[in-house]
Amino acid sequence: MMTKKGQGRMTETIAVLFIFFVLILFGIVFYFKYQDVAIKEDIRESLASRAMETTLTSLFLPELQCSRGAAEPEDNCIDLIKMNNAMRVFKENQDKYYFDIFSYANITVFQKYPTEEKWTVYEKVKLNATAKEPTFFVVVLRNEASKESSESSETTFGYGYISVEVYR
Amino acid sequence: MSLIERCRKGQMEAMGLVVIVILITLGMLFLAQFALKEAGEKKIFTRKGLAYSSMSAILKTTVETDCRANTIPYLGRDVLEDCAINLADSPEGYSKYKCSGLHSCVFAEQKITTLLLNTLGEWNKRYEFQSRLINNEGAMPIFTITNKGGCTGRERDTSGLFPIQAENAGLIENILFICD
Repeated sequence: MMTKKGQGRMTETIAVLFIFFVLILFGIVFYFKYQDVAIKEDIRESLASRAMETTLTSLFLPELQCSRGAAEPEDNCIDLIKMNNAMRVFKENQDKYYFDIFSYANITVFQKYPTEEKWTVYEKVKLNATAKEPTFFVVVLRNEASKESSESSETTFGYGYISVEVYR
Repeated sequence: MSLIERCRKGQMEAMGLVVIVILITLGMLFLAQFALKEAGEKKIFTRKGLAYSSMSAILKTTVETDCRANTIPYLGRDVLEDCAINLADSPEGYSKYKCSGLHSCVFAEQKITTLLLNTLGEWNKRYEFQSRLINNEGAMPIFTITNKGGCTGRERDTSGLFPIQAENAGLIENILFICD
């Protein structure tokens, strides 16, 4: 009688311990899955953060930004004359200077109005890249050259956007 | 079973329940951490920055269509201002600028719609552009442009107010919302 009761209790204890360890195991599996997702998310966030930094750097780059003498430079404005020259400078000094600023990235400027145009300002593709993060910002494109040929000398502002792609 | 044994068994069962409750609470906390995770820093930055830069660019853009004027007008401070001054005559009456032969209000609405569609629309963004005139009589809408149903009742970011003073007409208040 006593032995049977003892056996019953033992089985009960083993069952409780089994369920307890199953729950612990579930917890551990869930935790490691969560950690895995969190690490991937951190990597993605760091790429996004680099995309943000590169975008801001290109938007405020003196080689591209609209300015007039000592006056404050204009926000969200790219000077087409400056940009056309900067493209050459970027290419010539890509590895010596600009790679330290932009690293592996593609910077492209698109004009949507008055005409559709596209300029590749900086291009350094990472061949074995595992991810690419694009960021877009709308800008105006100042064109002082547009009216040089006509009788008027007014500056025009086109509408477009800058696309910055960074690689991991 | 003696009273002490029964009490001990009760205590053990209570302990077991406490352990299960703790484990369930931990699980719930993990889930809550997932569910309540804030939108990424980049997402917010991009939305806010996009709204501001889009609005700023739209108002600064010059109109390179024939507007029957001596100068090249800016879409914001010239065409929209003219629209506010001659709002009562819209859509077919007088306006200083007649870009493509249209009243400045009609032209501004068409042009802003196209510009936004060519950028934010292409990137599948949901947005809402509002332009309204504020004067002594109150606020009246000039036009509202929406894409994918606009941003009412959604988490949104704004460009901030871009006011333009319209001569003898009041203040034009422009705002752009971008949402998920």
